[in-house]
Amino acid sequence: MARQSSRLESKKVNSELLTLTYGALVSQMLRDFENLEEVNKQLERIGYNMGVRLIEDFLSRTNSGRCLDMRETADKIQQAFKMYLNVQPTISNWAAATDEFSLIFDVNPLTEFVELPADVSNLRYSGILCGCIRGALEMVQLEVQCQFVQDQLKGDASTEIRVKFIRRLQDATPAGVLIITSFVDVHLLISRSVLLCLTLLANTYAAIIAQI
Amino acid sequence: MSSQRARTSILDKPLSRGKGEVSLSCFALLFSEVVQYSQSRVYTVPELQNRLHELGMDVGSRLIDLYFVREQNSKRETKLINMLLFVKTTLWKCLFGKEAEKLEHANDDDRTYYIIEKEPLVNKFISVPKDKGSLNCATFTAGLVEAVLTNCGFPCKVTAHWHKGTTYMVKFDDFVTNRDKQLGEK
Amino acid sequence: MTIYNLYIFDKYGTLLYYGEWNRIKQSGITKEEEAKLMYGMLFSIKSFVNKISPNDPKEGFLYYKTNKYALHYYETPSGIKFVINTDTVSTSVKEFLQQYYSKIWVEYVVKNPLWNGTAVTSDLFKQKSDEFIKQSIMF
Repeated sequence: MARQSSRLESKKVNSELLTLTYGALVSQMLRDFENLEEVNKQLERIGYNMGVRLIEDFLSRTNSGRCLDMRETADKIQQAFKMYLNVQPTISNWAAATDEFSLIFDVNPLTEFVELPADVSNLRYSGILCGCIRGALEMVQLEVQCQFVQDQLKGDASTEIRVKFIRRLQDATPAGVLIITSFVDVHLLISRSVLLCLTLLANTYAAIIAQI
Repeated sequence: MSSQRARTSILDKPLSRGKGEVSLSCFALLFSEVVQYSQSRVYTVPELQNRLHELGMDVGSRLIDLYFVREQNSKRETKLINMLLFVKTTLWKCLFGKEAEKLEHANDDDRTYYIIEKEPLVNKFISVPKDKGSLNCATFTAGLVEAVLTNCGFPCKVTAHWHKGTTYMVKFDDFVTNRDKQLGEK
Repeated sequence: MTIYNLYIFDKYGTLLYYGEWNRIKQSGITKEEEAKLMYGMLFSIKSFVNKISPNDPKEGFLYYKTNKYALHYYETPSGIKFVINTDTVSTSVKEFLQQYYSKIWVEYVVKNPLWNGTAVTSDLFKQKSDEFIKQSIMF
């Protein structure tokens, strides 16, 4: 157990460094792009890229396996927010089919020093969070839709992210690699001649590859 | 809007706590995206460094008042050496959780100081490919330091170099060192 | 004890990294072909093991052993696959691979901004990876 908890501890940095660095990035983007929608898109994409990597960090620290249902997924997301941003969103508003839920935040560290000027009121400032969730889940073969339905920055009472399950992705079959899916020589594997069978498989591949 | 800001304002928190923490991984990945995004907007290494430098300045200029209010009883330093020590110790500690390793004064130039950091946080996970040999993402930190010093009345240029880890070269404007000498004479 | 070599594949079966230490005999085919063979075999074994399992497979395929060497397989939920060949007496290889994943892969590949998801070229990673392998008790 002790080992488990020490694995969960991770190094920390000042949250203001994160908040302000993110702020600097967003304002840089607002200067780079004239179109707000483009900025929203970029922020989502950046979040997605982060999610794709963050999930590896999460998995390696928590040692978790793949989730079996959305409730488990929601718990993991909650745990991840605690781990990475030190905030604990509430999970609520489950859809009847338990394929959709909300994460509700009292505080959002990203917006700590932020006030949206009127002319960028359509900016989804924290869009990076949605991207992050989407990217992370895609890596564990879950496709979800993720968006803000309430945002304190826009004057709402709380900040709410809605996560909707779309589908489970199939494990990819690699391109350019030949896969034997039916095993004729099953008895070989079951017997102790595992090595022999592997050689056989390998030779089959080699033969096929040689033909190509 | 204003009531919300007052509620979450960092200045309302007790000074002893003063700072929330987030995971280093999270910051590292955000920074990583910042670097990639910046890279996608430019063609050369110097341009990329300029961009990172500017972003750092943006962050730095927003940090100073916060820190002087919190750490120094709302008083700013007026002496050059104290200011540099503030940067090396307090600022570094608040931001990165440790002090910078060394502060040195150049032998051959009055106006130049070096802040040396063995393993900058922003470079921890970066491995620079050979074709971009001179790239040092710590220019972000350099920009941050430059903004802090300049906005405190010590105009300077700060650059990051690969030397003993990363060395930040701080080069002050002439009048800064002159003023400091006058202050010392009084 | 001995570690012979290490393959790392992404979830699509692309070889991301290969390292070898005490490999005496080469397969005589190119690295790319060898990687493809390896991945094909793993994919097949994995699906076979899951298919034939008499009860619900939890972790699936973990390793196989011959009288000369053992191949250990560790797959993360995100589909990164670590394959390491050791001698037959090495133990706790799975834990070792988990450590490798969290201390080396995540730290020096995943968090490297310049890595774009393809084969790893980072010198820092290679160096850290090498150190990690060499200082393990199995090496």
